[in-house]
Amino acid sequence: MEIVRKVNNKFLKIKNKNKKEKIDIVVNLFFLISTIISASFIIIIIVFISVKGIIPFITDNNGIGSVNIFKFLTGDVWLSGTAFKSNLYSVGFIIVNTLYIALLSLLLSLPVGVLTALFIAKVAPKKIAEFLRTVIELLASIPSIVYGLFGSGVILVFVYNFADILGIQSKGGNSVMATVMVLALMTLPTITAISEVSIRSVGKDIEHGSLALGATKTQTNFKVILSSAKSGIFASAILGIGRALGEATAVSLVAGNAKSGPTLAFFETTSTLTSTMLEGLKETTGIDYDIRFSVGIVLMVVILLTNIILNYIKKKVGNVDVK
Amino acid sequence: MINKVFEINNLDLFYGDFQALKGINIDIENNKVTALIGPSGCGKSTFLRSLNRMNDLIDICHITGNIEFEEMDIYESGYDVINLRTKVGMVFQKPNPFPMSIYDNVAYGPRCQGIKDKKVLNKIVESSLKSAAIYEEVKDRIKDNALSLSGGQQQRLCIARAIAMKPEVILMDEPTSALDPIATLKIEELINDLKDEYTIVIVTHNMQQAARISDYTAFFLMGELIEMGETNKIFTQPTHQKTEDYITGRFG
Repeated sequence: MEIVRKVNNKFLKIKNKNKKEKIDIVVNLFFLISTIISASFIIIIIVFISVKGIIPFITDNNGIGSVNIFKFLTGDVWLSGTAFKSNLYSVGFIIVNTLYIALLSLLLSLPVGVLTALFIAKVAPKKIAEFLRTVIELLASIPSIVYGLFGSGVILVFVYNFADILGIQSKGGNSVMATVMVLALMTLPTITAISEVSIRSVGKDIEHGSLALGATKTQTNFKVILSSAKSGIFASAILGIGRALGEATAVSLVAGNAKSGPTLAFFETTSTLTSTMLEGLKETTGIDYDIRFSVGIVLMVVILLTNIILNYIKKKVGNVDVK
Repeated sequence: MINKVFEINNLDLFYGDFQALKGINIDIENNKVTALIGPSGCGKSTFLRSLNRMNDLIDICHITGNIEFEEMDIYESGYDVINLRTKVGMVFQKPNPFPMSIYDNVAYGPRCQGIKDKKVLNKIVESSLKSAAIYEEVKDRIKDNALSLSGGQQQRLCIARAIAMKPEVILMDEPTSALDPIATLKIEELINDLKDEYTIVIVTHNMQQAARISDYTAFFLMGELIEMGETNKIFTQPTHQKTEDYITGRFG
């Protein structure tokens, strides 16, 4: 009864409003519906992956036996035993690989991206800056498979020859180094574009304040502009590492898909959570198929945790207590 | 001892085709407060910015005539602009502290000049904050972000930041226009204290302020210097009709 009265009251309230307010309510309702649609898809995806991914752990997988979750999360071999006859899957080493590669690629792309952004925003003449901005935007929209093809056609060759010079026999160039380079290339435009916007939005007054103190342009750029833009730069790093963690296609083409690890050496083959999920997905069934959804859950958790940690650091580093 | 810090002769300044300053001749005296007054767009801020060459940052700006600082033409090619700006500090209209700690704000200038010694920096920061009459208010939170200060405090911090460079001259571009009356009063008192040690050139829209704090007043109109003289004289018996019209509020 209470609820009925509440709804009734609300209805009366709406009924008593004038026409313009009613339009507001209707429009807001549309916003709500759109939000529900987009949000529900995310929830559906998560639920679907989770339900599929949990199967290997709770069923006996047609007599093979259920997968041990502890071993799954800590082991150093993808599959011990024969496919379709063993339940000894593990992704522990792949988690390490994935984080290691994402971190290395960020170490490469962040400084280069930020310096490029600084050049475009503060140093380059207007026309060149405009041109470069367009180029960066184009680069950011190139599909990952193209980066992958470039990686396998150019970077693998380069890495193979480079390893050869150092006297190391690499497996056709498929390696940590090649993966890191491809990912760094892929994340570079994102990092540059977002850093550039945040550097450009640093107030002229702050810049002039620094120059008026007798600071050089270089000192101003590094000490004042970058520290004022650090929040945006951090945001670009978060997006960059998100792309690095989630990239599958290009990585699969250059990683070499190692089945054990973790791989820390630069010229050894490696594998990431995404490349493991992708490899052979269409040619397998049963536990070998379902287990890839389990890897998907792990990937989602890894990305979520990384984002939470990075956002926490961002708050610590970039947040300014403004009155 | 040089009595004139700045000597400006026949200064013309152009933004592209637009002439913003026309044949300005002014001497700025040592350890005095010189106020620049005039209606908006009359060129007083432009003039102020040409004294530490901040106009260089505007591509289309060019200058003829000369500005001598301590008997050196600052627009001569090869003149050390960085050095000029360490000797001629500037405080802006809107408080513009850097988004870093109060301490780092004040230490910024000296650090850019290569001073790294902690003890030296500590001394500079403390004495600058004291000179800018803000030390007592911030001494317990010197590591806090400068943006957490109030507007008036931020502006005094910016003055402290300028003082930390131990300049000869401090240029102030309407330093109180963004502040409330109490903060304004504090800045005015501060300017009064500072003139024993520094030469101050201040742009202001506030006639009472110019009358209260300055020794000399220059009245600009449409890019021309109409009249300059002792503040008392300008405000009581201006020689020029336009000056009288402006200070009595008949236009502008």
